[in-house]
Amino acid sequence: MSKVNDITPTYELEEATRSYGEGSTLVLALDALSLTIKRGEFAAVFGPSGSGKTTLLQLLGALDRPSGGSIQFEGQPLEALGDSGLAELRLRAVGFVFQQFNLIPTLTAAENAEVGLAPLAISRAERREAAEEHLEAVGLAPRARHRPTQLSGGEQQRVAIARALAGSPRVVLADEPTGNLDTRNGEMVMELLTRLHSELRITLVLVTHDEWIAERADRVLRLADGRLVEDSAVPVAEEVAQ
Amino acid sequence: MFYLQYLLAELRRRPGRTALTALGLAVGVGLVVIVGALSRGLDDAQDEVLEPLTGVGTDLSVSRPLAVPDDGGSGAVGPEGPFGQLSEREQSELQRENENGLDFDLTELGDPGDRFTEDRVVATDLSFPTSEVARIRRLDGAEDAAASLTLNAVNIEGTVPEASVPGGAALHGGEFDVTTVGVSGVDVRKPGLATVTPDQIARGRYLSESPKRARGEVVVDVAFARQNGVGVGGETKVAGEEFDVVGLAGAPRGGAASNAYVELGQLQELSDREGRVNAIQVRADSADAVSGLEIEIARQLEGAEVVTASDLADRVGGSLADADNLSSKLGTALAIVALLAAFLIATLLTLSSVQKRIRELGTLKALGWRQRLVVRQVAGESLVQGAIGGLLGAAIGIASAGIIDAIGPTLEASVEQQSSGGFDPFGQGAVSAGGTDVVLGAPVDAGLLVLAIGLAIVGGLLAGAAGGLRAARLRPAEALRSAE
Repeated sequence: MSKVNDITPTYELEEATRSYGEGSTLVLALDALSLTIKRGEFAAVFGPSGSGKTTLLQLLGALDRPSGGSIQFEGQPLEALGDSGLAELRLRAVGFVFQQFNLIPTLTAAENAEVGLAPLAISRAERREAAEEHLEAVGLAPRARHRPTQLSGGEQQRVAIARALAGSPRVVLADEPTGNLDTRNGEMVMELLTRLHSELRITLVLVTHDEWIAERADRVLRLADGRLVEDSAVPVAEEVAQ
Repeated sequence: MFYLQYLLAELRRRPGRTALTALGLAVGVGLVVIVGALSRGLDDAQDEVLEPLTGVGTDLSVSRPLAVPDDGGSGAVGPEGPFGQLSEREQSELQRENENGLDFDLTELGDPGDRFTEDRVVATDLSFPTSEVARIRRLDGAEDAAASLTLNAVNIEGTVPEASVPGGAALHGGEFDVTTVGVSGVDVRKPGLATVTPDQIARGRYLSESPKRARGEVVVDVAFARQNGVGVGGETKVAGEEFDVVGLAGAPRGGAASNAYVELGQLQELSDREGRVNAIQVRADSADAVSGLEIEIARQLEGAEVVTASDLADRVGGSLADADNLSSKLGTALAIVALLAAFLIATLLTLSSVQKRIRELGTLKALGWRQRLVVRQVAGESLVQGAIGGLLGAAIGIASAGIIDAIGPTLEASVEQQSSGGFDPFGQGAVSAGGTDVVLGAPVDAGLLVLAIGLAIVGGLLAGAAGGLRAARLRPAEALRSAE
């Protein structure tokens, strides 16, 4: 891996494309996207349904491979990594927060927070300590022994955030983290993410179709039909008003 | 350790799926245990039936029988009877064997109307020299051999008829009673290889162990003793000679069954057959040596018929034989089909489970779990389900076998029995079937249980491999997308 310093961007995308199907059934989920995301940046990926937001997030998180172009993570091209290499990257550098929480239903909150640490060569005690520490950070230490079905939506998403942060990632990718929450809980989750971003100085890329969430970000990347149509720090609402 | 935690959590908190998969395997495995136990029970029942056939320690029986045609019990002698159906060579052999003792002209016993009593000792098997026993004993594979002589002591009492045809005739005119006693002479020095063995003694004792002391002693068949009012401590006449009854013996199933057993040398003297025997019982030095010995004895002893335990097994009929056939053909097929069905059910349930957990497994991959860890997780869960299924199946098998043992169904074993006691004095022999009931058990041994549990674990592994393969092919993005 190339030497990473503070000025090395977290992500550099060069004409990144993701397509599905071929010929008459070809669908361009992402169409030659080029952008750079700096270290410690809070970027919101905004756009309507089908604009390619989730696809972009999946490529950034090495959950998928681009059909064309290149993606570099901290100066390293992802296409040079095999499946194991991508898994290792996700294990050590990336945390995910999903719209539907994606907690393991048969595990407790503490065990869910641990699950991302299981492949690491650390002791059971270290793993537990890390999980409990991050549950504490999201305010759910008292609910550590509860299973997801015993938690509210907001609590489940907070467990998911604890899970994402337990491995001390350099990047957190959140796909519509408030999409399944009511306004109150959504607000709580966004406050948590914003605070943690600030405290931990992690790069946060968040996908949303909500304006008020996009407003919280340092930067807004607006997608439409798989293309980056706007890359601005200007709040979306003001742009619409204009 | 986390994997174990996760695995146990999955099994504990999805009890329906765990139970269904385990139960599917358990039924298949339970059936294997039941069929295996029944098969062993049938083998044990067969052994119980067969053990007395050859006597304790007898692996092969050697004789030189003639094929005796069934004359329908007409009792006719000479040309009209079964003797007349033998070939000329066989007739001449049998005549020589009995030193023309089959010739019977009652008119020589007195004038018509005179009372007479006549004792004859006749044989239906051809004999051979006693020296053959030592020759067989020296063969490779033979541990020991003992000789016996089985004859029919015929007593005829009555009045001389008007006419009689020499050489054996249909008796007409006059009145007479025929008593036949099947008698075997045994080598008392080798009771384990005799035609009657000490463990057949139902009352009294066996013959004395030295030929000298055994002279004048007789062991009598229980049924014969009952019919003739003979008991231990009493006397009975055999071949015109009085013998002291020292013991009563139960009839062996399928083997040569006589009414009376005396010391071999004494019977040879009584029947003018010194140095001759007509049966040899052989013990092999190992199970593997039996078939080789059978071939060698048949080769060396002209006209010999060699019967082994497995030959006798083929003579076992009745519901025991039917059940054994059913178990070996249908039972085995049923167990295989049930096991395959169980494997299929477990595999399908595992695949279905993996399909339902696509988002969960995709999330694990997204969190950095490598493919082999995800596969190991799925396969591990299946393996434990297989083990649970195996234990459950073993329990089902043991319980079912216990029920069979408790019920103790009875099977009937019928065996072709050679009985010289049924011999028509002027016919050439008769065969009567003997039957006995055996209680069927279903023994379950550790080996069977280990096999059953092992099969269930194999089933779990197969299911886990299928599920793991499915999980391995998941791409995280597709898995997460498919759940939306």
